[in-house]
Formats: sequence, C-alpha cells, structure tokens
Amino acid sequence: MIETFECGDTGALVAYLYEEGEPEIREVIAGHLTRCAACSSEIDGLRLTRQSLQAWVPPMPELTLQMPVPTPARMPWWRAPLPAWAQAAAAVLIFGVGLSVGLVRGDVNAPPQEPSPQPVATTTIDTPSRSDLSRLEQRLRTEMAQMRTTAATPVRQASSDDDMMKKVEALVAQSEERQRREFTLRSVEMAREFEAQRRIDMATVRETVGQFQGVAGTEIRQQREAIDRINNFIRVSQQAR
Amino acid sequence: MTRTDEELVARSRTGDVDSFNQLVVRWERPIYALAYRVLGREEDARDVCQDTFLRAYRALPGFKGQAKFSSWLYRIALNLCRDWIRRQQRAPVSQMPEDMDPAALLAETEPAESIEDLVARRELSAIVAEAMRSLSEEQRTAIILKEYHGMTFQEIADMQGCPLSTVKTRLYQGLSQLRRQLERRGQGVAELVKRT
Repeated sequence: MIETFECGDTGALVAYLYEEGEPEIREVIAGHLTRCAACSSEIDGLRLTRQSLQAWVPPMPELTLQMPVPTPARMPWWRAPLPAWAQAAAAVLIFGVGLSVGLVRGDVNAPPQEPSPQPVATTTIDTPSRSDLSRLEQRLRTEMAQMRTTAATPVRQASSDDDMMKKVEALVAQSEERQRREFTLRSVEMAREFEAQRRIDMATVRETVGQFQGVAGTEIRQQREAIDRINNFIRVSQQAR
Repeated sequence: MTRTDEELVARSRTGDVDSFNQLVVRWERPIYALAYRVLGREEDARDVCQDTFLRAYRALPGFKGQAKFSSWLYRIALNLCRDWIRRQQRAPVSQMPEDMDPAALLAETEPAESIEDLVARRELSAIVAEAMRSLSEEQRTAIILKEYHGMTFQEIADMQGCPLSTVKTRLYQGLSQLRRQLERRGQGVAELVKRT
C-alpha cells in the first residue's frame, strides 16, 4: 500500500530521515522538500541533530564477562560415603552396644550357674554362651581391622598431599605472574596518564595565553581611545581660547 | 570457523558453556553501550551488562528462537535498565559525575586527531549526553536503539511494546527536543559538530 504525504506529516518526515518506508513515498517527500522551505529546514535541523548524536561515544572498558563452568552437583550428605573415622566409630559403637547387651543379660565373668529347672531348649535360646560372645568379639575385631586397612591408606594420603603442594605452588606462581603483569600494565598506564595530562595542560595554557592576549589588546585599545578623547578635548579647548 | 548466533545458542542449550561465552564476547560491547547510554554511568552499565548475560544464560532453556538472539538480549538489558531506573527513582542516590579521564582521552585519540579536536569531541559528547538526559525514558530509548543499534521502526516497536506510529512520534519529538537543546547552546555546538 502506498501512503500519501501531507506537508508537516512528522511521521513521514522521520521515516524519510532514517531512509525507511516505501521508495515511492520517499520520492514524493524528496520532491516536496525542494518546494517547501519549512519541511526542508526541519529535515536539515534533524540531520544536524543526528550528526551531533554521533559524537556521543561511551567509554569502553575492558569487558571480560565469562560464564562460570558449572560444577557437578554435590551429593546429598545422607547419600555421601562415610569417612573412615566415622565408620570406625560406628563399629566401636556397635561393638560396645553388643558387649553391654551381653553383660546385662549375664555376667560373663561370673561362675557358671547351676542348671535351672527350666527346660534346656529355652535356656540355650535366651542367653548367649561365653563362646558365642567371644566369637562375636573376634568377628568384630576382624571387621574393624579390615576397615582400618581399607579406609586409612597413608601412601595415598601422602601422594594427595604432594598433589596439593604442587597445586598450591602452581597457584602461587600464577599469582606472582599476574602481579608482575598488573604492575607492568599499571606503569604503562601511569606513563600514558602523565603524557595525556601534559598535553591537556599545554592546550589549556595555550588557550589561557590566547585569552590573556585578547584581554590585554582590548585594554590597550580602550586606553588609546581614552587618550585620543583627552587630546581632542585639549585641542578643542585650546582652539576655543 | 565463525558460528552464527543460532548455532551457538543451540550448542549453549545443550550445556556447552564455551559456546555461550562466544556469544558473550560477541555481544557484550553493544549491550554495555546500550546500558551506558540509557543509564549514563559506566559502573551501572557494567553491572547491567553482566546481569543481562547471567539472566540470558539461566533463561536459555526457555528461549525457543522466536526472535533473534540479539533482540532477546537487548530486551533483557532494557528491562534491567528500566528496573534500575525505577529503583533509582524510589531511592535516589547522589552520584558524582564521571570525570574526564586523561588516560582514556589519550587512548581514544585517533592517529590523525589533534588533542584539541579530541577535547572538542569529548565536549560535544558531554553536551549530547546531557541533552539526552532531558528526554523521557521512552524517547531516549527509541533514539538510542535507532541511532546506535540500527534497529528498524518495527524492531523498536516490538522492543518497546508499542505501535509503529508511536515509535515515529517518540523519535520525532525526541530529536526535536534535542535540536532545541543544542540550538540553545548556539554557535558553539555547530562548530563542535564541524570539528568532529
């Protein structure tokens, strides 16, 4: 659809200014601008304003935005494997509880009691014998010993310590390198700052001297004019005499 | 080989952080420039820029590619700028103006540009920045998107959620107001424009 153009249609003028819209209507507006002083002046003014806008340049700092690489999700604490010390503590606790239960149910150090009048089958089920307890103790000791050997591995610990030391050394080296680089950059920056300030000062001095010369020239001219006026006055008064 | 935004977005959606970082490198400067021009302060612009990419990264699974990635990013940045402006209006904080940094001045000097021309350019830049602050947020944003990011009227209308005719009106009124502000400063501005 071809739009029509009426004098003073600001929307159409803006479209013309930014070279948008249909070519036919642009041609119509171009023709109108050769005849209409008001629209032509409007477009010229807006063009000059656009030209001024190009001077507005934002300071562009060094942008180093980086998205962090996502770390793997941490396992919930109740699902994470227990550390070795906790496993050992749990084993000791179980052993202690078992032993207490044994002591409560029957004194292991007490001399063997006379057979009770109760049926033999019931006695063998309710109270564990001394040999049962000693077997249980033996089994727990064996399991604890196994856990200790698997959980605490001093060789691996030592190697992980070495790795850690290497990492720390690498980090320290990186930090030193970064500091050196920053120091160099800062020095260069300071030198440039100094140079820029010097150039600005020179420009300011030149400008100030120019202004001063202008002011001094005006004053001299005024003084000369005053002297001329006084001379004229003297001459006129002498002629009158 | 340079990958397109769409390819990098597709890879990022599968969890490839490097691809997303390539998008960051590609778009951080335009987004920073947009935020700086809308907010007017370097530090705030940097924060908004960073926040824009973080939000985009989090929202990436929901981005189905209906719009261009850059338009989507600009929209996030503009929303953050708008939030920031509202927060400032609620609790205004007096801020020191950003001074002219000599080092930055020197770094900006183009090979053939004299220091006088550079100072003139900076002066005009400050005048324009001040004049832009006098516009409404909608007018300012429309002008920024058009002048510095080359968006079409339709793209700006989509971004601002308004009819196309409103975008034209905002641009016209904004430019006219800027013109009046600059004319008020008289011949000085015209000379600065010539120098730049």
